[in-house]
Amino acid sequence: MSLLEIKNLTVEYVLRKSVVHAVNNISLNVDAGKTLGLVGETGAGKTTTALSIMGLLPHPPAKVQSGEILFEGQDLLKMKEHDLENIRGNKISMIFQDPMTALNPVLTVGEQIAETFHLHGNYSRAEAEKESLKMLEMVGIRPERSTEYPHQFSGGMKQRVVIAMALACKPQLLIADEPTTALDVTIQAQVLELMNDLKVTFNTAMLLITHDLGIVAETCDDVAIIYAGQLVEYGSIEQIFDNPLHPYTIGLFGSIPSLDEDVERLKPIPGLMPDPANLPVGCKFCTRCSRAVKQCEEAEPEYLEVEPGHFVRCNRIGGTDNG
Amino acid sequence: MGEILRVEKLSKFFDTPSGSLHAVENVSFSIEQGKTLGVVGESGCGKSTLGRTVLKLIEPTGGKIFFQGKDITNISKKENRALRKDMQIIFQDPFSSLNPRLNVADLIADPLKTFKEHNKKEIEEIVFEMMDLVGLSRRYAYSYPHELDGGRRQRIGIARALALDPKFIVCDEPVSSLDVSIQAQILNLLQDLQEQKRLTYIFVTHDLSVVKHISDDILVMYVGAMVEKCPSKELFAHPLHPYTKGLLSAIPIPNIHHEKVKVKLQGELSSPIEPPDECRFVKRCPYATDICRCKMPDYEEVLPNHFVSCHNCKNINNL
Repeated sequence: MSLLEIKNLTVEYVLRKSVVHAVNNISLNVDAGKTLGLVGETGAGKTTTALSIMGLLPHPPAKVQSGEILFEGQDLLKMKEHDLENIRGNKISMIFQDPMTALNPVLTVGEQIAETFHLHGNYSRAEAEKESLKMLEMVGIRPERSTEYPHQFSGGMKQRVVIAMALACKPQLLIADEPTTALDVTIQAQVLELMNDLKVTFNTAMLLITHDLGIVAETCDDVAIIYAGQLVEYGSIEQIFDNPLHPYTIGLFGSIPSLDEDVERLKPIPGLMPDPANLPVGCKFCTRCSRAVKQCEEAEPEYLEVEPGHFVRCNRIGGTDNG
Repeated sequence: MGEILRVEKLSKFFDTPSGSLHAVENVSFSIEQGKTLGVVGESGCGKSTLGRTVLKLIEPTGGKIFFQGKDITNISKKENRALRKDMQIIFQDPFSSLNPRLNVADLIADPLKTFKEHNKKEIEEIVFEMMDLVGLSRRYAYSYPHELDGGRRQRIGIARALALDPKFIVCDEPVSSLDVSIQAQILNLLQDLQEQKRLTYIFVTHDLSVVKHISDDILVMYVGAMVEKCPSKELFAHPLHPYTKGLLSAIPIPNIHHEKVKVKLQGELSSPIEPPDECRFVKRCPYATDICRCKMPDYEEVLPNHFVSCHNCKNINNL
C-alpha cells in the first residue's frame, strides 16, 4: 500500500454563474521515500489537488464532488477537522509557493518554527525553542538569526525557514507547491539540494508541484502530467522522459529551449488551455493537438496503461493505432 | 552590419536612506544592428536598470550612450522624445503595463497618437497591421486587457512597441510570466519579427535557456557589475568566470541522462548599497585570493571577443 493514494478525485468550484471543473477524476500514488512530480501549466489543477490533500480548499466555492484521498489507509476527506489538524503539519506538511506571504510578519522566525513543535509535540516552550534552533541549523541558517523577523531575510532564506517549519515534525509526506519558483537559480539549486538531502535522511515522501521539467528531471522518481484538470500521462521518470507518448507531454518538451542542443525554432503548442468552466466534450487537448482526429472531439479518451506503470489518456495511442 | 548602440562605462546609482545603491556600475558593450544581446543575472543584479538606462527612461549617473553613432547621454527632452520612435521597450508584466481602461486598438494606437504623424484612418490601418503582425486576431480589437490571457496581453505589449517602427527594442523579461507553451510562441514571434524588420534587441532575462536560445551575445551581470561577455555559444561551452560557471551548473536540465559537474555556489548575493572596492563575487567565490578583497577587477578581453572581469581568470582556467 502506498503512503498516499488519491482515487478518482474530482473537485469543482461552484460559482454563481458557472461550475469550474478544476480537478477531474485524478488518481495518484506516492510511496514512502519517493518523489512524485505533478507537472502542468497555470490553471491545470495542480494546486487544487495539493490543497484538497491538506483539507485546505476554500469551501465554498470549492467542493470535492467525489473520490478518496487515502493517507496510511485512512480517507482524509471523511476525517473530522479535529483529527485532520493532528495530521496536518505533523504527518503531512506543505511548502507554499511564495515564502514572502507564507510567513507571519509579526512573529520572529524562531517563534514560528517553535509553534509547530508546541502544537504537535509534547514540548514545553523552552524545548520547542531549542528544537527550532536545531531546525534552523539544519536548513543552513545561523541559529542566532532565530530572533529576527521574516522581512530581515532574503527570499532564499525565507524559503529555508518555510522548509524548516514544514519539516519540523518530520512529516511522512511533504507537499511542495512550486517551492523554488520565486527564487533565483543559484538559490534554487541550494534549496533543491537541501530538500533532496532531507528526503534521504527522513525517508520522506514528496509531492512536488512544478511547471519546470528541469527540476522534475533532477528530483523526481515518478511524474504525472496534468492538463485541464485531468491526468494525461503518468509514469516513472524514465518512461516520461525517454518515451513521452501524449502529444501534450511531447509539446511541453518541444517548448523548452534546450541548453544541450542548438534549436533554431521552438515547437510551441499552438493555442491556449481551454476555459475550465467550459471544457470540450471529447479530449480536453484536442483543440491544440496536431494529431487530433474527429473521434477526439467526440469521445473522451480512455486512460490506458500502455506499459506497466505508464498511463496515457489519448485516443491515438494504444490498441492498433500505435504511432 | 554596423554598430547601432554603444555603451561606455555606464553607471546608475540610486540614493537610498542607507547609502548609495550601485545598481549598474561601469558597464560597457556594443551591439550591431539586427543582433540580440542577452543580459542575464539574478534578481537585483541591475539588469532591468541597465535596460532602462540605455533607453534613457532612467538618467544615467555616469558613462556614455551612443545610438547610431550619436551621443544621447545628455540630449534635451525634445530630442529624447524623438528618440522614442527608434528605441522601444517590452515590459515584463503584461498585467500591469497595460492601461485597463483602454481597449486593444486604443492601446496599440496610443504611441501613434502621441507623435501626431498619422490621421485617424492611417492609425486604424497601422493598428490592424500590427495586430496581424503579432498574431492577434482582429476580433480582439475592441476587447479590454482583462478579457485576454497573458500570452495575448504580451502580444499587445509587443504590438505597442512595434507600432512606431523602431530599430531597437529592450525586451525586459518578456516571457517570464508566461507558461512554457505560450513562452515558446512569444519567443518564436520575437525571432520572426527580428528577421522581418532587422530589429536589434537587448533581451533581459534570468532564464538562461531562453537567453541561449535567442541571443547572439550574452552579458552576465552580478550585483551591478558585468562579469562576463562573449558570444552565446562560447559562454555555454567555455564559461570563464567562476560565477558564470556556478550559474550555468545551477540550471536544472530537463534530461535525465544528462550528467554534469556541479559547481556549487554557497551563500547569497552581497548588498549593492555602498559596496567596498572589492570583487562583488568575492564572498561566494571558491577561488578568491587577497587581491580580490582589495580591488574590483578590470574588464579584460581574455580570449578573442570574450571579456571577463576576474583577477584570477587565467589561473582558474589554465590560460
